[in-house]
Amino acid sequence: MGYGNWDDRAYDAARTFRAARGLDDFGYTADMRAQPMNSWKAHPALDPKGVKLRESRDSDDHGNSLPIAVLFDVTGSMGRVPRIMQEKLGKLHGLLQRKGYADDPQIMFGGIGDADSDQVPLQVGQFESDNRMDEQLRLIFLEGNGGGQKSESYELAAYFMARHTATDAWDKRGQQGYLFIVGDELNKPRLASRHIRNIIGDKVNRDISVESVYRELADRWHVHYILPNQSSYYNDPEISEYWRGLLGERFLRLDDPAAVCELIALTIGIGEDRIDLGAGLADLRDIGSTSEADAVGKALAPIGATRRNNSVGALPAPTRDDDVDFGN
Amino acid sequence: MFGDRHLIVVDLGFGDAGKGATVDWLCAPSSGLDVSAVVRFNGGAQAAHNVIAGGRHHTFRQFGSGTFSRVPTFLSRYMLVEPIALAAEALALEQLGITDPLSLLSVDERALLTTPIHGAANRCREDARGAARHGSCGIGIGETASYALAHDAPRVADCLRPNILRRKLIALEEYYRPLLEGSGHRYDSIDDLVEVYTEFARAVAILPGDQLAAFATTGRLVFEGAQGALLDEWRGLHPYTTWSTVEPRNARAMLARIDAPGYVLGVTRSYFTRHGAGPFPTEDADLSIVERHNGTGEYQGDFRRGHLDPILLRYAIRACGGIDGLAVNHLDALGEIRTATGYLTADGCLDRLDLGEWQDLDHQRRLTELLEAATPVLADLPTDVIGYLEAELGVPVVLTAHGPDRFDRAPGAARTTSNNRPAPGTLRMPG
Repeated sequence: MGYGNWDDRAYDAARTFRAARGLDDFGYTADMRAQPMNSWKAHPALDPKGVKLRESRDSDDHGNSLPIAVLFDVTGSMGRVPRIMQEKLGKLHGLLQRKGYADDPQIMFGGIGDADSDQVPLQVGQFESDNRMDEQLRLIFLEGNGGGQKSESYELAAYFMARHTATDAWDKRGQQGYLFIVGDELNKPRLASRHIRNIIGDKVNRDISVESVYRELADRWHVHYILPNQSSYYNDPEISEYWRGLLGERFLRLDDPAAVCELIALTIGIGEDRIDLGAGLADLRDIGSTSEADAVGKALAPIGATRRNNSVGALPAPTRDDDVDFGN
Repeated sequence: MFGDRHLIVVDLGFGDAGKGATVDWLCAPSSGLDVSAVVRFNGGAQAAHNVIAGGRHHTFRQFGSGTFSRVPTFLSRYMLVEPIALAAEALALEQLGITDPLSLLSVDERALLTTPIHGAANRCREDARGAARHGSCGIGIGETASYALAHDAPRVADCLRPNILRRKLIALEEYYRPLLEGSGHRYDSIDDLVEVYTEFARAVAILPGDQLAAFATTGRLVFEGAQGALLDEWRGLHPYTTWSTVEPRNARAMLARIDAPGYVLGVTRSYFTRHGAGPFPTEDADLSIVERHNGTGEYQGDFRRGHLDPILLRYAIRACGGIDGLAVNHLDALGEIRTATGYLTADGCLDRLDLGEWQDLDHQRRLTELLEAATPVLADLPTDVIGYLEAELGVPVVLTAHGPDRFDRAPGAARTTSNNRPAPGTLRMPG
């Protein structure tokens, strides 16, 4: 997958025409909610069950594909973030492509819920580089709910990304992709094998430790966790300490949830060594994301400082588990 | 004032004379003209009709300038429709408090589609012209018209038939591929275009055939022209023209088909302006009149200003096949303005321009050459500008404006007076 060109003018226009017809930008969610809860399911295009691989491949048009995956927690109030993303997708792509942060970005979206209590705990789209990204966002089911036990099944999503993706960036160039998990809670204590079997379909019989899943994932992906200021957990030290322990400075606290697109774009631009933080923030102000620039500047301050002094690699900081190695 | 006749609003200069503000005033309920629809009969998304009413400002491009009064817009078959720009304009109108503006719109299915591919091609060609740019807007209006002459071009009706639309867009892309390759002018992918045009067709009423009669049964039609008659593809100053019939023959033909009477309202400023390259005999770079809404365009260059030119106005009126009345705008900006009483040319002093055979571009080119070499004879404007224009042009002034707002406009020849002007006829050569 991953072809075509993306331009926010056509994207914005299609969105305006849809709005005039009274269509919700998340039409699939509206359709599902009109049905009884026990029949809720992921849209076939996003259902992980039985998926062998989601692929990000080079094409004639896009010879230097860079895979980017954005997986949202869609429980509770976190459902707002995909909507913000949907509104600002044009800006994200504009920054990545026109400001030269990435040559041929291919973006995949997905949704994360609670495998213990939700009907649709995991949704994963395809890597796309054109308006089909927008289509996928519209097909994500914003289930809401969530378990209320301060944990969601992020580790199940991490497992899918580690075992069920293949990218030319890695296979041909040894280049890692970018994964952003946007959420506000903890992983489940362990990755339950029954969740893997039931939701993804792999025949796995033993539970897996969360650390080893993220370790495997970090081989091929720069893994980031974005905690937007969206719920009371934003100020909960347990959440911050937990994720900082697991991901180091790739745990990003974001004051303003409306800046999530801008944060993702700049993280990639800095990670790809195309800009430093100062230039990225100037780009944001250029395109009118002034208040977003402030929030992004705060969120990326640790990364930005490191990059200024040492522009090549050398991230992230060591974490508390000596067996977790994120080496670039 | 206009009886029961439908109104055709035509700019008698190079554009920017105030058609939009005029149409807004005609459509306002307070004017009592009972307008049922604004009909666009030429041009496309490159039009820029500034309307200011009660604190709201919008630059109308494809939506008719009666939209502030919720008068519906009909984009006729002669219009070049650009859906992506239309969506942006709808959004802008919504932000000004117009509820669901797309519901006010209907489109003749025969109208041509202007796509981002046309736009990219347009910008490529202008880049290649370098200093000899024609001053186009970079949207692709000319490309839309010229491609349609020789090819099965995408039309609005195709938006209802994605397979046909896709085939036509692929052919269009293939045709332009050699020009666009390596140019750096990007455009959306065919998939994206099919998607957006399909959504466009769902959101906007696309009407088969000629539906004008239906609009005319519920009230008066106002035909809103784009550009100015001096840019008309056959009557304008070739080659600095637009690929569109700007003079009112198409509007008149539409009215003739529904057997309805029309009234042609010519629009002029109290001085002349031009945006883009081409001859402009009374141009005066020293004029300091401020333009709030006419900036410098990347492909159009600077906004140019000049003195009043009754000779060009008389030519434009004849190019229009005559007009019934005149609207004069910008009467508040008369301070430095003078008027042309003739041109000094190699052939002596001229005060009229010949109308050639229709579609005789050699004649139009000769006119262009004549005007490029002409030196205007300028005189001070008389105190009674309205009376002067009526006498020079032989038509009544029926609307006047002393400012940009709807409320600066008034029907009838409200005389403008400026008491300490010199008497007319004082000849002075331009400095």
